Amino acid sequence: MPREKDRDWDDNLYSKIDHYNLVENLEQCLQCGKCTGNCPVAAITPSYNPRVIVNDILAGSSVRLLDSEEIWRCFWCANCYRLCPVDIHYPLLMMQLRYMALENGYGLKYVLPINKFTFRALEKGLTFVPGKRGVEKIMRLRTSIGVEPWPQVSEKAIREYRAIFEQTGAKAWMENIQNMTEKPVRFSYLEGRMANEYTKGNNTPGTDRQSAG
Amino acid sequence: MNIQRVITPRERIGKVPDKLFLFRSCTGSMEYPGTENGIKEVLKILGVEVVMDPDQTCCSGYILTCSGYKPEPALAVTARNLGLVEQRYDGLDVYAFCNGCFGYLSELTHILNQSQSYKDMSNQLVGQWGYHYQGKARIFHVQELYYQLIEKIREKVVHPLTGLRVASHYGCHYLAQQYGILDDGDLPTFHEEIIEALGGTPVFYKERRMCCGYAVGRGFTHKESVVQPHLARKFDSAKEEGVELMTTVCPGCNVALDREQIKLAERGFGPYDIPVIDLGQLIGLALGVPVWKLGFNANTIPVDGILSKLGLGKGD
Repeated sequence: MPREKDRDWDDNLYSKIDHYNLVENLEQCLQCGKCTGNCPVAAITPSYNPRVIVNDILAGSSVRLLDSEEIWRCFWCANCYRLCPVDIHYPLLMMQLRYMALENGYGLKYVLPINKFTFRALEKGLTFVPGKRGVEKIMRLRTSIGVEPWPQVSEKAIREYRAIFEQTGAKAWMENIQNMTEKPVRFSYLEGRMANEYTKGNNTPGTDRQSAG
Repeated sequence: MNIQRVITPRERIGKVPDKLFLFRSCTGSMEYPGTENGIKEVLKILGVEVVMDPDQTCCSGYILTCSGYKPEPALAVTARNLGLVEQRYDGLDVYAFCNGCFGYLSELTHILNQSQSYKDMSNQLVGQWGYHYQGKARIFHVQELYYQLIEKIREKVVHPLTGLRVASHYGCHYLAQQYGILDDGDLPTFHEEIIEALGGTPVFYKERRMCCGYAVGRGFTHKESVVQPHLARKFDSAKEEGVELMTTVCPGCNVALDREQIKLAERGFGPYDIPVIDLGQLIGLALGVPVWKLGFNANTIPVDGILSKLGLGKGD
């Protein structure tokens, strides 16, 4: 792991990440670790530690966070938010940290497969519309239970939905990240921590489950 | 702080409505169309009128939380959908039947109501089509209604689920809204009470509260490294308790729990064959909604065993 330099640290990192003011109270973090203890991802990926990530954001360790693989593992199950004694909305923090990583070219591979569905949603007004064969299957299913073949979403709704994405610049942002060059992500938090079977290169499910159970 | 932080369910939920606005779920109307239809049929039996609107679009929370776009479009879409409900169906409460829709709508309306500048931005944008979000529309989950109507459900059971071991999956995005949901987010029991009212045997398994793993698109990107070992833990604990059927209240969780079981077996976990259906569909079965209307053909793990145990066929 390369040594971190002075210029890699940024005192204003938290205010830059929380650009939309959705978290607001991160500085109240008690470092109690309830978030980590209840995190289903931390149970599988021990190097992923929400408490340490919050600490690093407050300390301003931008380089370690942005190219980290760990920040892409959060499910957004919001267990951490539910249990947090000071109500820090960690998932919204993660969402905004990921914007920052994306704009620096990291982790595009984790968002582009999902963006495909957004572009399709702009044509249908519904998220997760499948391909042509999938649509035929849905229409068959819906007909068999006696409802109209396709969910009723009006042309007006789709037009306005698309316009919202165009006028807020969201569509342009999505097209922009499609054309960016991908930079590799790595496990940033291995040093000094317990590593699990996956990171040691042992990818057989059986061994991992025994250690987890 | 003058703002009341904890709202008790009694204050928030109030009396059972005669008429409600059902918020269309993308997954619930496409992947498992039987969910939407089952809920409509159940509410018809329980005497609650359902309104839906073709001008309502996707809640747009899911891909936002995958960092697929910035918050502005999602806030504007929320203001548009709820502004529409406020204007056309004045006074109707919004009921979502997907934890995603419920969670994201609650979260986004919270942001809109707490921040005047976001509200102004959204209203300015959707104002061009004549919508205006005031912040009056209240968001509920359909499962809260089932619990309020539990006595009525108990009376109307036609096919009691005698001896059926049913496990429930609450889903994170419902329980994470810890202030003002129906039950305690840490140890909820109201699903079990509903299952008991239907005559079934509720099963408490160890990983009952555990996330389905698909919450934020990790099923697309980290399926093998994170989601599958995670789900295997959930199913192992369910299998240990002898679960015969699992119910969800979120079509998204349903996709993860139902579709993934075969892929888990391919990777050496399991094998598991626990059918996963919506709680609304289960209530529908017990209340005598025709089985063909519940659309069990969409399920990957067949529900036939459960149906024959209840003395029903797929065509009934």
